[in-house]
Amino acid sequence: MNKIAEKAVALLQEGHTLVLGYEEGDRAPRPFFCRQAEEAQHLVLDERCTANLAVYLTKPELMGKGRVAVFAITSSLRAIAQLTAENQLQLENLTILTLTAEQEIKTFATLEEIRSYLSEVPYELSDTEKALDEKLSAMTREERWKYWINEFSRCIKCYACRAACPMCYCTRCITEVNRPQWISPWPSPLPNMEWQINRVMHLVGRCIGCGACGRACPVGIPVDYLSKKMLQDLSEEFGYVPGQAMQDGNALSTFKPDDKENFIH
Amino acid sequence: MDENSEFEPNIVAFVCNWCTYAGADLTGTSRLKYATNVKIVRFPCTGRIDFMLLLKAFAGGADGIIVSGCHPNDCHYTSGNFHARRRWMALHNLLELVGIDVRRVRYSWVSAAEGAKWADLVNSTVADIRRFGPYTEYQNVAKQLEMEDSHE
Amino acid sequence: MSKIGVFICHCGENISGTVDCEKVATELSKVEGVAYSTDYKYMCSDPGQTLIKEAIKTHHLTGVVVGSCSPRMHEVTFRKACAEAGLNPYMCEIANLREHCSWVHEKGEATTEKAISLVTMLVEKVKKNKPLTSIQVPITKKALVIGGGIAGIQASLDIANCGHQVILIEKDPSIGGHMSQLSETFPTLDCSQCILTPRMVEVAQHPNITLYTYAELEKVEGSIGNFQATIRLKAKSVDPKLCTACGLCSSKCPQKKIPSEFNAGLGTRTAIYVPFPQAVPNKPVIDKEHCNYYQKGKCQVCQKNCPTGAIEFDKPDELITEAVGAIVVTTGFNVLGTDFFPEYGYGKYKDVITGLQFERLASASGPTLGEIRRPSDGQIPKKIVFIACAGSRDPAKGIPYCSKICCMYTAKHAMLYQHKVHEGESYVFYMDIRAGGKNYEEFVRRAIEEDGVNYVRGRVARVYEKNGKLIVKGVDTLLAGAQVEIEADMVVLATAGVSNQGAEQLAQKMHISYDPYKFFAEAHPKLKPVETNTAGIFLAGACQAPKDIPDTVGTASGAAVKVACLFSQAQLIREPLIAVVNRSGPPSFSTCVGCFMCETACPYHAIEREEIKNRNGEVLKVVAKVNPGLCQGCGTCVAFCRSKSIDIQGYSNEEMYAEVMSLFNN
Repeated sequence: MNKIAEKAVALLQEGHTLVLGYEEGDRAPRPFFCRQAEEAQHLVLDERCTANLAVYLTKPELMGKGRVAVFAITSSLRAIAQLTAENQLQLENLTILTLTAEQEIKTFATLEEIRSYLSEVPYELSDTEKALDEKLSAMTREERWKYWINEFSRCIKCYACRAACPMCYCTRCITEVNRPQWISPWPSPLPNMEWQINRVMHLVGRCIGCGACGRACPVGIPVDYLSKKMLQDLSEEFGYVPGQAMQDGNALSTFKPDDKENFIH
Repeated sequence: MDENSEFEPNIVAFVCNWCTYAGADLTGTSRLKYATNVKIVRFPCTGRIDFMLLLKAFAGGADGIIVSGCHPNDCHYTSGNFHARRRWMALHNLLELVGIDVRRVRYSWVSAAEGAKWADLVNSTVADIRRFGPYTEYQNVAKQLEMEDSHE
Repeated sequence: MSKIGVFICHCGENISGTVDCEKVATELSKVEGVAYSTDYKYMCSDPGQTLIKEAIKTHHLTGVVVGSCSPRMHEVTFRKACAEAGLNPYMCEIANLREHCSWVHEKGEATTEKAISLVTMLVEKVKKNKPLTSIQVPITKKALVIGGGIAGIQASLDIANCGHQVILIEKDPSIGGHMSQLSETFPTLDCSQCILTPRMVEVAQHPNITLYTYAELEKVEGSIGNFQATIRLKAKSVDPKLCTACGLCSSKCPQKKIPSEFNAGLGTRTAIYVPFPQAVPNKPVIDKEHCNYYQKGKCQVCQKNCPTGAIEFDKPDELITEAVGAIVVTTGFNVLGTDFFPEYGYGKYKDVITGLQFERLASASGPTLGEIRRPSDGQIPKKIVFIACAGSRDPAKGIPYCSKICCMYTAKHAMLYQHKVHEGESYVFYMDIRAGGKNYEEFVRRAIEEDGVNYVRGRVARVYEKNGKLIVKGVDTLLAGAQVEIEADMVVLATAGVSNQGAEQLAQKMHISYDPYKFFAEAHPKLKPVETNTAGIFLAGACQAPKDIPDTVGTASGAAVKVACLFSQAQLIREPLIAVVNRSGPPSFSTCVGCFMCETACPYHAIEREEIKNRNGEVLKVVAKVNPGLCQGCGTCVAFCRSKSIDIQGYSNEEMYAEVMSLFNN
C-alpha cells in the first residue's frame, strides 16, 4: 500500500467515519469515499487529482456524523479556508491533510496553518487560460458578445457548474426562487448568460480558482475563465487572495472609502 | 444613421430615495426641464439595487440604465453606497468581459441638493443613448425566448 | 385577486397643466387588476381624501396608487387616509407625477405616456405589496444637546423644564458661544452678557441638565429613541470639585501671550485659563498645546501655587457613553477672518478687523475695556469705515448667500462707535440694507438719522495702508458711480457667516446631511426647519444657516418641542420597512445558510445570529436574524444575499421586480 492508504487506515482506526480522497478512474483519478479499512488500498494522491473534494464537505448527507478526514489538494485547501470563513465548516470535526511538494503527508491543525501554507503557493492562470484571455482581450466588444452568446447557445442548463463548485452550497439556490423568477429555468442563450453572470457575481471575492466548473461543463463552455478572470482583475482592487479569506467580511460586504471610481459619471 | 434621430430611447433610472430621488424632486421644484425618456424607480438605498434588475431591464427592452445615489460618505444609511460601488465595480468588469455594452449603464452620484446635475445627467444620458441607438443586439437575443415560448 | 384603486391628482394645474390626467386615469382603468380609476383636482384635500376612502370601501380595494406630487410630500397623508378607511397603509404607493413628470417636461403626448408608465409601475408593485404592521420601540427619555451657545442653552432649558433629562455638551471650556462675545445686541442695544449669563447659570444649576464642557461627540450609534452617544470628556487638568476659581494659577502662568479665542485674537490669555470672567463653569482648564509642562515637560507653577491642589496633570481624556432618545444639534457658526480678503490686506493690516473683533473692542470685558481703540497703536480712531457684505453675496468668492445679520450689526457697530466717540466719523459701504425683523428698520434709520452714520451705497475695491492710515477706495453708486476715497483709522469688515469648524465631520458622525457650505440640512426648508432627515436628530440655531438671536431662540424652542413631543409618547412607532430573514417549517427552517455576509455588511449591526434547535436542545443550524429595533431599512443585505433568504418589507424582491418589469410590457 502507498503511504496515503496507510495513513487512511490509521485514520479510520483512530475513529474517523470517513476518509475522503481519490481513487483511480477510467481516464483520471476520481473522488473516493473510503469508509472501511479494506477499501483504503484504492486511495491515490498525485498531480493527476484535480477534482475539488471540498464540494462534498458542505453536504451533511454525505459527511454523516463523526470525524471526517480529507486528502486535500491545493485548490481544496483554498476552498476549505474560504468555507470556514463563511461559517460553513466546523474544523473540529475535520482532519485536513495534504501532500506537500516534497511528497510528505502534512496534517493541518488550525485554519492559520492552512492559510500560511497557502500563502507559499501563489495562484496563477494556466497557459490555456492565458491564451483564451489574450484572444478575448484582442476582440472588440461586439465580437466578444458574439463569442459568448455563441458559447451560451450551447448551454443546456444542467447546472453541473453549480454542482461542482464548492462555494455553491445554498440549500435553496437563486435558480429555485420563482417569486420573482430571477433565472429562467429553460435553456436559451440570454437566460444562460444571465445565469452565468449571476453565478460569477455570487462568486466575487469567494471564487478560489479551482476550475471545477469548467471541467464539469458537459458542452465545454469555458465558464471557469469568467470567474477566474474576475478573480484576477478584482483581487488587487479588493485585496482578495483566494484562500486568504478577509477577516472582517467578504470582498463585496466590505469596502474602502477610496475604491476606484473611474467609471462613475 | 438617420433613424437614430427619431429613436426615443427607453431608459430606466434606479435611484436612492434620500439623495437622487430628492435631487430629482428639486429639479422639479426648480422647474428645470429634461427629456421624458427616463422613468425613475425608487429604492431606499443604492445598496438595495440588485444587479440582476439591471440585466432584466436590458432584457425587457431598456436601451439605457441610470444608477444613482448619494455621494460617498453621505449615504443616509452610512455605507450602502459604498457597497453598491463595490458591486458595480465587479458588475461593470463582468459585463465588459462578456461583451455587454457597458456604455449604456451610467452610474452617478447625485445629492439631494443637485437638481441641476440630475437634469444634466438625464439629458446627457438620453443624448448618448440616442447616439448609440436602440440596444437591439441584446433585445434580439432576449426575444428568442419569447419565440420559443410561443411555440409551446 | 388584486383590486387596485388609481387616483390621479391634478394638483390644481401643477400636474394637469402638462399631463392629461383624465387620459392617465382612463388608460390605467384598463390595466389588469385595477378595479377603480379616477382623477380629481386636489387629492390631498379633505374631499380628495374622502374620495379615496369611499372608493376603498365601495370597491373593496386591496391597494391604492395615487398619482400626485412627490411621495416625500404626501405619502404619509395618503397612507393615513387609507388606514382610516380600513386598508393597510402599506398597500398605498405614490407615483411622482409632479416633481418627476409634469414640472420637468413640456406638455405633450410623451409626458402623458410617461405619467401612464409611472403609475403603471406602481400598480404592478402594489399588487405584490404585503400588509405591514408598525413596530413599537421603547424610547429613552433623555436628550443630548450638542453645542452650548444660546441655541443649545435655550433648547436644554426648554426640554429640561418639560421634565426630561438633558445632557448638554460644549467643546469650549465654557458655554455661551458667540453671544457671550457680543457687547450689545440689536435692536434694543441691551447688554448681551446681561441677558445671557442668567440663562447660563440656570443651565448649570438645573436639576435636569447635566453639563459637560470641554467635551466633544466621539460617536453616535443606534436610532431614534435609542441612541448611544459616546462623548469624549477632554482632560481639563483641573479637578472642578476642588477648584475654587481663585485665579491664582492664571496669574502665575508663564505662558501669557496666547491669542485669546474669546477676544477673537485681539487679546491674550494664559495656558491655564478661564475663557472669560462670566464663564460657566467658572473653572480653568489647561490648554495642552500651549502649556510648558505638556509641551516641554517643565513648569507646573500652577500646581505648586494652587491652594486646594486642584491641578492634576496627565489625566487621560475620558470616554463616556450615554443612552439618549433624541439629539439636538446646536453647534453654531463661524465668521471668516480678515485673511480671506486679498483686496483688504490679506490679514496683514492690524487695523482691518472683523465685526466679531469689533464686538470685543466695544465690549466692557474686552481687551480695551470697552474703548474703541486701534489694535495697532491703541489710539482712538477718528474715522472708521465699515464694509458690509465682506465675502457674502459673492459667488466669485464661493459664498453666494446673504449672511443675514451683518446689516444689523454693522448699523449697531456704527451706532456704538458714535456713542463712544462723539466726534468720530463713521462710514458704512453697503449693497442693500436687510433689516427685516421687528424694529430692525427703525434701528437702522436711527443710526443714519440720529447718530449720523454715513451710509454709502457701493462696494470697496481696495484697502491699503499709507502713512499709518488705511486708504479705502470705494464707489458711491447713488452718485452715479462717483469714486470715493476715505483715509480711515480703522476698517471693520462684516465678514460672511460660515459653517463652524468640524461641521462636516460631525455631520458624518451623525449621518445627517449638509449643504455645499457645510451648514446642516433641514428636512424641509419651509415646513421642517428644525428637523433633519435623520429621525431623532434636530437642528437649531446658526448651524443650519446664519441667523440672529430671536430666530435662534425660536428654532431652539422649536427643536425642544419636537423632542418633548417625541418623549411624550409611551413608545415610538417605527415604520416596518425593515429587513426580515425568511423562516419556514422543518426540516430547513429557513433558506438562510448562515454565511453571514449580511452581518458584515450591515451598517447598523442589526443582524444577529440565531441558533435553531430541536426539542433536545441540539443546534440544527445557525441562521441570520434581523433586530427590528435597529434595522433602518437600507436593503444592502437584501442585495447581497445569494440565496435570497433575506428580504425587505416595502421594497421586497417581488415588488421591485414587478415594478421594473412593468416598464417593458409592450
